[in-house]
Amino acid sequence: MSNDVILEARDLTKDYAGFLAVSGVNLSVRRGTIHALIGPNGAGKTTCFNLLTKFQQPSRGTIYFKGQDITSYAPAEVARLGLVRSFQISAVFPHLSLLENVRVALQRQRGASFDFWRSKSALDAYNARAEELLEAVGLADARHLTAVELPYGRKRALEIATTLALDPEMMLLDEPMAGMGHEDIDRISDLIKRVSANRTVLMVEHNLSVVAKLSNWITVLTRGQILAQGDYATVANDPKVQQAYMGVGHG
Amino acid sequence: MFDFLGIPPQALFGQLLLGLINGSFYALLSLGLAVIFGMLNIINFTHGAQYMMGAFGAYFLLQYLGIGYWWALLIAPIVVAITGIVIERTMLRWLYKLDHLYGLLLTFGLALVIQGMFRHQYGTSGIPYPIPDALQGGHRLTFMFLPNYRAWVIVFSVAVCLATWILIERTRLGSYLRAATENPALVRSFGINVPRMITLTYGAGVGLAALAGVLAAPIYQVNPLMGADLIVVVFAVVVIGGMGSILGSIITGFALGVIEGLTKVFYPEASNTVIFVIMALVLLIKPSGLFGRAASQTSAVEHGGASAAGDGGRSALLFLGVLALFFIISPFFIYPLFLMKAMCFALFACAVNLLVGYSGLLSFGHAMFLGSSAYVSAHAAKVWGFSPELAILTGTGASVVLGIITGALTIRRQGIYFAMTTLAFAQMIYFFALQAPFTGGEDGIQGVPRGFLFGLFDLHNQVTMYCFVFAIVFGTLLMMYRIIHSPFGEILKAIRENEPRAISLGYRTERYKLMAFVLSATIAGLAGATKAIVFQLASLTDVHWSMSGEAVLMTLVGGLGTVFGPVIGAFIIIAMQNYLAQFGQWVTVIQGFIFIVCVLAFRRGIMGEIANKIGKPL
Ligand SMILES: Nc1ncnc2c1ncn2[C@@H]1O[C@H](COP(=O)(O)OP(=O)(O)OP(=O)(O)O)[C@@H](O)[C@H]1O
Ligand SMILES: [Mg+2]
Repeated sequence: MSNDVILEARDLTKDYAGFLAVSGVNLSVRRGTIHALIGPNGAGKTTCFNLLTKFQQPSRGTIYFKGQDITSYAPAEVARLGLVRSFQISAVFPHLSLLENVRVALQRQRGASFDFWRSKSALDAYNARAEELLEAVGLADARHLTAVELPYGRKRALEIATTLALDPEMMLLDEPMAGMGHEDIDRISDLIKRVSANRTVLMVEHNLSVVAKLSNWITVLTRGQILAQGDYATVANDPKVQQAYMGVGHG
Repeated sequence: MFDFLGIPPQALFGQLLLGLINGSFYALLSLGLAVIFGMLNIINFTHGAQYMMGAFGAYFLLQYLGIGYWWALLIAPIVVAITGIVIERTMLRWLYKLDHLYGLLLTFGLALVIQGMFRHQYGTSGIPYPIPDALQGGHRLTFMFLPNYRAWVIVFSVAVCLATWILIERTRLGSYLRAATENPALVRSFGINVPRMITLTYGAGVGLAALAGVLAAPIYQVNPLMGADLIVVVFAVVVIGGMGSILGSIITGFALGVIEGLTKVFYPEASNTVIFVIMALVLLIKPSGLFGRAASQTSAVEHGGASAAGDGGRSALLFLGVLALFFIISPFFIYPLFLMKAMCFALFACAVNLLVGYSGLLSFGHAMFLGSSAYVSAHAAKVWGFSPELAILTGTGASVVLGIITGALTIRRQGIYFAMTTLAFAQMIYFFALQAPFTGGEDGIQGVPRGFLFGLFDLHNQVTMYCFVFAIVFGTLLMMYRIIHSPFGEILKAIRENEPRAISLGYRTERYKLMAFVLSATIAGLAGATKAIVFQLASLTDVHWSMSGEAVLMTLVGGLGTVFGPVIGAFIIIAMQNYLAQFGQWVTVIQGFIFIVCVLAFRRGIMGEIANKIGKPL
C-alpha cells in the first residue's frame, strides 16, 4: 500500500438479503485531498460511508485506515483513530445549546468525560475554543440558542463545527451542504477548503459546482458499483458518466 | 432397568415430562408474545394475566354454565381474545407512535389491575379444575407412568405451535402480516386494512395465552397469580430465543422447559434459576438471542420523555430546598416512620429516574439492588455486628458489585430488551433470596439492630434515626443533582439525544451507560440498605418484581426526567399504600390504574406538568 493513501477499501460489499447496495467497491483516498463521492440517489454512497466508518458491518471486503485493518473495529474506535463522519440527516444534539454541542466533541478529546462528581462549570474551559469553531461556521451569534431552534442549513454548519472540534485526520461528510442557501454554501465551501489544508476529506455532494470547485478527485458510484474515477474534467467528459449520472439532471 | 447417574428412571422421566409440559406453556406464551411484538412492537406484559384469564374462563364456564373442558378450549380463548381486542382498540393503539417502553408500562399496569381484581375475588389458593373424562388415567410405559392428560397437552401444544408457524410463514395471510410489519403503507396500498390486522393480531396472540391457560387449568389449578411469575420466565425465554423468530420461540420454549425439568432432577436448588443463568450466558455469547437477528449497532433508544427531560437548573435546587424543608417540619405532624419510608423510596425512585430519565434505559429490575443490599446490610448488622453506617456501606457495596455484573451483561440490549433482561435478572436474585440460607426465606431477616451510629448515637432514638436518614437521603439527592450536571452528565445527555452522533464523535457509549447503571444501582442499594436499618427488616417484598414496578410507577407519577419529581411520586404512592392498606388487593388495582392513566394521558408526570406550565425545567 503506498504511503500517501490514508483510507483504502478493497472489495467492499453490502448485501441486504440479496440486494447489493454496495458491490465490490475498491476505493483509495489519498492523504491531504478532497475526494468527492458522487452518484444518483440510491447509488450506495451513504451505505459506503456507513461501512467505512463501521456503523454497518460489510458483508465482504476489508478496510484500511492509515495502513491499519479496521474491518472489525467498533464505530467509536474508528472515530478515535481520526476517521470522523457526519450524517446525511443532520446530526446535532437537539436540546443542547450550540456551545454545548461543540463542547461535547471537545470534551471527548480533552478528557473529563467520566467525571460525575465535578461541576459542569469545569467545561467552561472549552468555551473559548468552542466559540472559535462556531465563529468559523458563522454561528457565533447564535451560540446560546438550542440546536433544535436552528434552520436546517445552519444545523449542518453546527455539525461541521462539531466534527472539526475533534480535529480529525480525515472527515467523511455526507452532503454537508444539503438544504443550505447560497451564502452558507460559499461559506462552508471555503471552510472545507481551508480546513482541508492539513487533513483529508471524503465527501458526498450533489451540488456539482461545489464538487468542481473543491475536489481533487472524484469517484462516481451507480448501483453500488464504481462507474468512473478521476479528476473533474475526466469524469465530466466520460460518456458513461454523462449517460448514467449527468443525464439525471443533478446540479 | 437402568439407572442414570444414580437417578431412578421414574424420577428422570417424570421430570422430563413435566419439563415438556412447562415447555409447552413457555412455547405457547412466547409464541404469542412474538406474534404481538412482530406486529405491534409492544411487549405485552398483560400476557401472564391473560393466560390466567384463560384458566378462569374454563373454570367459569364449568361452574356457572356447566360447559366442560372441550368447549372451554374453544370458547375461553375466544372470549379472552375479545377482551384483548377491546384493550387494543381503547388503549394500545394510542401508543404506537410513542416509545415502545410505554407499551410495556401500560400492559404492566393492566396486568396489575386484572390480577388484583381476581385476587380480591378469589384469594391466592388455587381452585381445582377436573381433567376431562376422556383423558383420565394413563399408560404404564416400561419406564414410567404417562398420564393421558399430560400427553395430550404436549401433543396439542406442539400442534398449535406448528399450525401458527405454518400460518405465518407459509400462507398468504402470514405474508401480509410480515409485510405489514415492515412496510404498512405498502400493504395498505393493496387495499388491506392494516389497523384491523393489528387488532386481530393482538387478539390472536392473547388468545394463544388464554389457550395455554385452559390447558394448564387441570394441571396447575386455577389461581389469580398463576401467570404473574410465569411471564417473567417467559420474558427470559424470549430474550434467550431472540425476538422476531416464530420457530425460534417455539424451539426455545420447549428446550428450556426440558432443561428446567432436568435441572430439577440433577440439581434441584437451581431449577428456579437455571433459565435465568442460561439467559446470562446467551447475553454474553450472542446478545441478540439464539435465533435473533443482530440488531444494528446504531439503533438508538428513542427516549419518550427526552424533550420533557430538563436538567433543571436553579429551579430544581430550589425545589429540593422546599422538599428538605417539608421533611424537616413534617415529623411534628406526620408519623416519622412513615416519612422515613417515604424518604427511602424517594431515593430509590430517583435512582430509577437517573437511568430512565437521563440515560433512556428503562430498568424493570431495580428491586434486585434495593433488596440485595437490604439483605446484606441487615445480615451485616445482625450477624456480623457491624455498626449501622458500616452495615449500610457493606450493603451498598454489594449492590455496586451486582450492578457492575448485571450492567455489563444487560447494557448491550436496548429499549424493551433491556427492560426484560433486567426484569429477568431481578427474578433470578429473587429466587436466590428465597433459597439462600442467610436470607431467612419467607420470613426474611427480622429484628435487625439499629445500633449506635459511629458507636456514639443511639439510633433506637427516633429523632436520631430520622436525622440520619434525612442526611443520607438529601445528601445523595444533592449528589445526584451534581451527577446530572457534571461533565459526565453532559455526555449522558448527548448520548440520549443522539447516540449515533455521540458514537461518531468517538464516545464508547456503552461505557457511559454502564457507568450510569452502576451509579443508579449504587443509589438504589443505599436506599435499600438504609431502609433495612430503619425498619430492622429485610424481606422478599424488597426483591420482588412488583417492587421494581412500583419504582417505575413513582418515577412516572412524579415526572420522568425531572430531577426531583420522583420524590413526589414516591411520597404519593407510599401514602396511598399506607392509607389504603385496609382495602387489600384494591391497592394493586389502583396502582395499575394509575399506571394506565399516566401512560395514556399524563406522561409528563406531576413535576413535568408543572415545569411545562412555568416553562422552566425542573
Ligand atoms: N437497511 C436497508 N435495507 C435494505 N436496503 C437498503 C437499506 N439501506 C439502504 N438500502 C438501499 O440501498 C441503496 C443505497 O442506499 P444509500 O442510502 O446508500 O444511497 P445514497 O447513494 O446515499 O442515496 P442518496 O443520494 O439518496 O442519499 C438504496 O437502494 C436503498 O434503498
Ligand atoms: Mg445518501
